[in-house]
Amino acid sequence: MKAVGARVPRYDGVAHATGRTEFVDDVRVPGTLWVKALRSPSHHADITRLDVSAAVAMKGVRAVITADDVPLLEYGHLSALGIPADEPLLAKGEVRYKGQPIAVVAADDEEIAQAAVDAIGLDLTEKPALFDIRKAFDADAPRIHQWGNWYTHFEGGMDRRQIRKGNIEDAFDKADVIVQGVYRPAAIEHVPLETQVSLVVPEANGRLTIYSCTQALYFSMGVVAAHLQLPLNKLKFVGGTVGGGFGGKVDTATETICALLAQKSGRPVKWRWTREEEFLCSSTRAPWHMEIADAVTKDGWILGRKMLTLHDSGAYSRFSPYGLTKHSFHHTGAYSIPNLEFDGYVVYTNRVPTTAMRGFGVTSVSFATETHLSRIAHELGVDPFELRLKNANRIGDTSPNQIAYTDPSTVPTILAIANALGHKLTPDYRAMTRDPRSGDLLPEHLVAQIGSTEGH
Amino acid sequence: MAVHKGRGFAAIEYPTGMNQNGDPSQAWIKVKPDGRIDVFAGTSDIGNGSKTIQSQIVAETIGVPYEWITYDNSNTDSSPVCTGTFASRATFVAGKAAEKAALAVRARILEIAGKELEIDPADLEIVDGEVLAKGAPQKKISVSDVAAAATWTYGELITGTGAQLKPYASIVEPETGKVDLSPHSAISYASCAAEVEVDDETGIITVLRLWQCYDVGKSINPTLVEGQIEGGAMQGLGLGILENCYPYYPSVEHRGGEFGSYLTPGMEDMPQIDTIIIENPSADGPYGAKGIGEMANNAQPPAIASAVFDAVGVWVTELPITPERVLRALEANAEPRRIGKLVIFDEELSINTVGNGPVKLEVLV
Repeated sequence: MKAVGARVPRYDGVAHATGRTEFVDDVRVPGTLWVKALRSPSHHADITRLDVSAAVAMKGVRAVITADDVPLLEYGHLSALGIPADEPLLAKGEVRYKGQPIAVVAADDEEIAQAAVDAIGLDLTEKPALFDIRKAFDADAPRIHQWGNWYTHFEGGMDRRQIRKGNIEDAFDKADVIVQGVYRPAAIEHVPLETQVSLVVPEANGRLTIYSCTQALYFSMGVVAAHLQLPLNKLKFVGGTVGGGFGGKVDTATETICALLAQKSGRPVKWRWTREEEFLCSSTRAPWHMEIADAVTKDGWILGRKMLTLHDSGAYSRFSPYGLTKHSFHHTGAYSIPNLEFDGYVVYTNRVPTTAMRGFGVTSVSFATETHLSRIAHELGVDPFELRLKNANRIGDTSPNQIAYTDPSTVPTILAIANALGHKLTPDYRAMTRDPRSGDLLPEHLVAQIGSTEGH
Repeated sequence: MAVHKGRGFAAIEYPTGMNQNGDPSQAWIKVKPDGRIDVFAGTSDIGNGSKTIQSQIVAETIGVPYEWITYDNSNTDSSPVCTGTFASRATFVAGKAAEKAALAVRARILEIAGKELEIDPADLEIVDGEVLAKGAPQKKISVSDVAAAATWTYGELITGTGAQLKPYASIVEPETGKVDLSPHSAISYASCAAEVEVDDETGIITVLRLWQCYDVGKSINPTLVEGQIEGGAMQGLGLGILENCYPYYPSVEHRGGEFGSYLTPGMEDMPQIDTIIIENPSADGPYGAKGIGEMANNAQPPAIASAVFDAVGVWVTELPITPERVLRALEANAEPRRIGKLVIFDEELSINTVGNGPVKLEVLV
């Protein structure tokens, strides 16, 4: 029997379908404490008083933790890639989004933990909040971080992600038509069936066993190890079977805090977010703001593209600089556009930090560029399939990063759908392949952008 | 007042593996005394089916039945590094590590079988759990007997490791974005057509049908590939017409904290979905596979937006395309501003209109 290509049953399918798969919240350990968090009621404020003494004194409360108890308070999700940390595990001095955790309590049950949270003294001084990324650059905009309202650590110390290719001015000069539009996909929730949850058990030998719903066991172990300043042999992550993630469980949302509470209390600690917390306090897919101006000829060649992207990162960076870079690398979609001028900014707002989600960085640009191409086709009176086939990337064409495409399938996938719809195409288009350009499909404006596919 | 039908189309691409690479995955395998195979990898299965896919790859590569494989990704003490299940990398990157580990195990099985059969290992192959002499399949020994011989005769543990890592692609020119090597392992491609019905009185959009074509390189498990494509289509439909954390973005008012005020697609929203899978193999993926996981929700929103235009003649470029947005667009019936060869849509949404800082999209003609 051949295994590859076979419709073998899902490895854990029967267990999932019969409810016998053990997810994190199914793991029960005697003596477990339960966690609730004091979260910011404000979008943006200074913390002028934080008093946990009443919570600590309550019967059944076993540990309370604030920013002062974290060995390394700030550790960036992408510190390993040189992206500086900017988000404290627990808020210190200032809150930058509604729902931001300020203090956490571990108690004998969830009701006691919540009562203790309610007993924590918190005074805030409200500050103006920023929500519109288009206004983040205004002189009078509320300031979110001391360095400003957008990320400033791209290569070369640049405050934006830039792509430059070819001669953009020439392309716009030569264009017959320039079509400009704005595209704004929304923030959405990951909506996993399993909300954020972890259980941390302090073992007799001093290790911490961390039952986690992470999408990335070693990545999350690195995050916990960094915050707690522990070597990896002190931690054991248990997981690998996740009740829905879609990118939201690349965030290490609960593990570090449970580990700290387990260390402090010496007891197993579990934190499971309510559905309301999952909706309101977990990170979302980012809202994006994209503006495109395409220089096109009246017969449908795309000569050049100018694009401005603002990526709503929420209050902290998390993975957003990575997402914007990926976005910029794919801002021509499945097409060859030889002249490019792209500027992208990771912009902070006083909303819940945004994070990775299925298609990270590219879902947004696919929506923008494909809707834009349909508009261009309509403006020019060109068939939308033929416009795409004409400009489709071919073997040897180069990407925005000046890397040659080696195996593009744009042409075959477009033709497959045209055939499925019975869409009429002229014989020339129907006969197209992904082979390197020649003849009428290698117009002058694309000659200079053909690259070598060797070594890629 | 009427219901209008429309069709729209989109074509997309999506990279496999982390952008700029540098994301390792590792696997190791040991063989039990009866030839059954234990695979250890740190790859979380988020419902994408990576346990199944990696087990299939190991079974195929060694040459034993799928049912012989036990797959353990349960903890970091026994399983080696996997960067994680994201970036459409679990099949491509982690699956490649599993394939490499399996190749090492296969080689060791063949060596021991060669000793038992007194045949050069190069002249042996493994088919369905049996080691056979090429061209003389009557000369054979089962993998079970090879594993027993390793354990009880030679005092050996048959094991193998594999790791996959493509080096980090540095941006060598920050001003242009030029990179020094390919920033991804492979690119997957897809096309999608949507057929919708739009009620111009209520603004309600019904997605009737989606035609989708995906190039996945190699469909290692067609059932799981179809699951990704159909599940992704539903998530794309949510992005396109339903889901929104901030209904009046950028305002934070009216944020829904429960399913009653946050609309996800349900079974009643599911259109007819016609799926075409093509296989243009990648150079580096296991058996030519490419990633399919993430791209599956990228093509529907633009196809739906174009179909809505085809149906009722308005472009809604803020997602989701809710009934309210459709009705407001119909009421406004906005035309682009035309200046010479310039055609400007959506000016009211532009940072050039809304912001007064230095960042603009400047198009001078």
